[in-house]
Amino acid sequence: MPDLTQIVFGVIALAMVVAAVAMVQTRNVVHSAYWLFANAVLTAAIFGMLHANYVAVIQLLVYAGAVAILTIFTVMLTLRHPDFATRPREFNLFSLLLAGALLALIVLALFTSPEITQQQVQEFPGVREFAIKMFAPDGWALPFEIASLILTAALITAVMWTHQLSKRRPVKKNYRSKGNEE
Amino acid sequence: MNWLVLIPMLPLAVFVVFLVLPRAVRNRLLLVSVVAMLASTVLSVAALWQILQVGATGAGEVWRLSFAIGVLDGQALQLSLALTPLSAVMVAVVSTVASCVQVYSLAYMRDESRRGWYFAVLSLFTAAMLGLVLGSNLLLIFAAWEMMGLCSYLLIGFWWENEEPRQASIKAFLTTRIGDLGFMLALFACYSEIGTFDLPTVLETAPTWSSTGIVLAAVGLLWAAMGKSAQVPLHAWLPDAMAGPTPASALIHAATMVAAGILVLGRTLPLLELVPFVMIAMRAIGVITALVAALIAMVQYDIKRVLAYSTISQLGLMMVALGAGSVADSLFHLSTHAFFKSLLFLGSGVVIHAVHSQDMRDMGGLGRSMPISSVAFLIGTLALAGVPPLSGFFSKDGIIAALIREQHWLALAGVLLASVLTAFYMARLWFRVFAGPANERAHEGEPLMVGPMVLLATLSAIAGAAAVMFAELLGHNGHWPTLQLVALSVGIAGLGIAAGWFFFGRGERNVNTDKLKVQFAPGYTLLINKFYFDHLYAGVVRGFFVTADALARFDRVVIDGVVNGIATLYHGLCQLSWVFDARVVDGAVNGVAQLASVVGLRARQIQTGQTQLYQRLITAAIVVALAAYVGFDLIGKGI
Amino acid sequence: MTVPLNAYLILAAVLFTIGLYGALSRKGAVLVLMSLELMSMAVTINLVAFSSFVTPIDMTGQFFTIFAMVVSAAEVAIGLALVVAIFRTTATIELDDLDELKG
Repeated sequence: MPDLTQIVFGVIALAMVVAAVAMVQTRNVVHSAYWLFANAVLTAAIFGMLHANYVAVIQLLVYAGAVAILTIFTVMLTLRHPDFATRPREFNLFSLLLAGALLALIVLALFTSPEITQQQVQEFPGVREFAIKMFAPDGWALPFEIASLILTAALITAVMWTHQLSKRRPVKKNYRSKGNEE
Repeated sequence: MNWLVLIPMLPLAVFVVFLVLPRAVRNRLLLVSVVAMLASTVLSVAALWQILQVGATGAGEVWRLSFAIGVLDGQALQLSLALTPLSAVMVAVVSTVASCVQVYSLAYMRDESRRGWYFAVLSLFTAAMLGLVLGSNLLLIFAAWEMMGLCSYLLIGFWWENEEPRQASIKAFLTTRIGDLGFMLALFACYSEIGTFDLPTVLETAPTWSSTGIVLAAVGLLWAAMGKSAQVPLHAWLPDAMAGPTPASALIHAATMVAAGILVLGRTLPLLELVPFVMIAMRAIGVITALVAALIAMVQYDIKRVLAYSTISQLGLMMVALGAGSVADSLFHLSTHAFFKSLLFLGSGVVIHAVHSQDMRDMGGLGRSMPISSVAFLIGTLALAGVPPLSGFFSKDGIIAALIREQHWLALAGVLLASVLTAFYMARLWFRVFAGPANERAHEGEPLMVGPMVLLATLSAIAGAAAVMFAELLGHNGHWPTLQLVALSVGIAGLGIAAGWFFFGRGERNVNTDKLKVQFAPGYTLLINKFYFDHLYAGVVRGFFVTADALARFDRVVIDGVVNGIATLYHGLCQLSWVFDARVVDGAVNGVAQLASVVGLRARQIQTGQTQLYQRLITAAIVVALAAYVGFDLIGKGI
Repeated sequence: MTVPLNAYLILAAVLFTIGLYGALSRKGAVLVLMSLELMSMAVTINLVAFSSFVTPIDMTGQFFTIFAMVVSAAEVAIGLALVVAIFRTTATIELDDLDELKG
């Protein structure tokens, strides 16, 4: 009889997989974004189960809060007509086989590797410990700073690419194919 | 006495000088040639005088000049000139006739543009003849013999712009060349027997030769003489040789060159006498020649041709005399013949000059217009017919006497018949040309032409007186003709002349020969076609040309075919090689490039620009790599 | 017995695979980016799982995850800005139409 933890894990895992499949399967781009959002939330739950509280929160903030929302914005921005939200079916056997092969490989490698048991710990470190370790000079302070630099660079880049000073530049080539006309 | 060498050397020098001079200069120096000839004549007469002074006879040499021209087989090759009584007389005769001809030619060839060359060749010829007479060495004699052949060719073909002289000169050269093979045969026999060409030695040692050698030498010499002296069947060139200038004909074909054959036979008679069948052959050939030629002469209309056949006939008589063993009679007839035949030729030249035609049917009645020429010609005619007391009578008589002496009755009959015919056709000629109503157009020849004729006529008339002296000079006994012989000769000559007069000399009452030609048609046809000798030769020549054409065709088709075939084969191989290079080699090279191009073209199709395709391909590669890693890992772990 | 490590790993693997399928088969640029995010999340699950099982005190994996998330966020931001810029110049974000590298 599986215990509670396992049942919870099972449910969350199942939900995640369903959400993921739905995300890559749905014909509606907005729906796709929603399913990504769902996945992000569920991932945070998994982090929680793994006693990584801080990471779970960050996950919610960043992925669920920022990334997913950004994605929805972009979908909206690049949709010329609401009718274009529904796309034609996109199934590719080759990709499926590839993915399947990769999964098989990973599983095979997993089951042929030695077992790793959980370290017995009295108590898992909390946020406080996490913060101490993060900002310790011999800890993760430097990478932290570099990370902030990366974010800055990304910010500037994104702004550069998307801001419009002057009038809209005309389209040079007819990129639109028949498929998108409907 | 070495000044004697000038006798042939003077005319030779003239030739050499003329050879190098340009035409314009040559044409003005004709007198040089004439003077040289006259000088040679004077020297010849002086030589004769010397001989008479010394009283030499037979083969006694009064003077000899030997010189070596090289080394043959380890020994020095000696050539020599010698002066014997015979050579002295002949040299005098030849140079006299030659001088007369040269003087005559001054007038005859006055309007000729190449007269300088004519005189040069004439001089060269005379030099050769004199060299032959003086020569005492068979090789030297042969060299002079050949030289005369060359001059004959040059003079017959003097007017080479026309077809007839060209053909005639080649015919003459080739026919005498066939005869010359005999001379070469004799030379080979001579050298292999005794290793020297010296004539006295040859005559001395002849009895000791092997029979093969003697026969070869004798037959060879006879054959050579037949060619040079126009005996049947090698006679056909002489009538055609009349295409040359008349004075040249007078010198070469009357007096000198044709006589060379007889002369050589005369000098080598001791050798020939050792082969009895050769002597018989000589008589037979002589008689046949004399008769055939006389018969043909009866129906000729060209005045020069009549004289040419007459020459052949008389040469036949000389050959008969030699065949009877009488050198003296033969050579005396040769000398007298030289005088009166050259006289007749020069006379015909005058006649032709006056009438501008050589056909006797265009002539007639020239006796009144050209008295001197007419008389001179008459003397020559009568001398040829053998009418006493002209020289021809004495010489012909000598031959008849010799035949009687040796009892060659068949030959005698032939000779007598030939003599009758000779008298007939000569009478025919004289009557046709000179008798009859006067011809207004004709005029007498100029002094330069008539003068020599007069001299020759005089010699023809009085030379008979030297008959006995001649014989004794040669070392034989001389006989004056007996009364019976005189009567015989007169009878023969008279018969012939009377017949001639009957047919042609009576003006209006002449016999109409056209009716006779129809009556005796077969005989006439035979004569007018010259016994078909020319047809025979033409057939031989044609056969030769057919063979030559066949060989040429063989060469062209087969041999050239083979050569061309090989070339074509090679060409084909080269083509193949080129094709191989173009197709295979270039194909390989181009193919590689093509392959690269095709591969590139196909490979290019991966570059679709489709992002997803690239992604899938990359992912597939990663998966494969991973699979390989895991696989090897598992294998390493032993699973 | 609680959830074994393998369970988390297999879950992460499945999510990764599904994300891979999406990245390879979707034709819209935004959709592909979304799939890539899914793959990224699967990887972070993996990291945290290992951290929790192997180095619970050091929390190495968690730190790693933080930074991975930072990078991932930056990447998404730039990627989406790129997509918007492309849309503005070419009026389409269908990957099939953007084939100027063809040849």
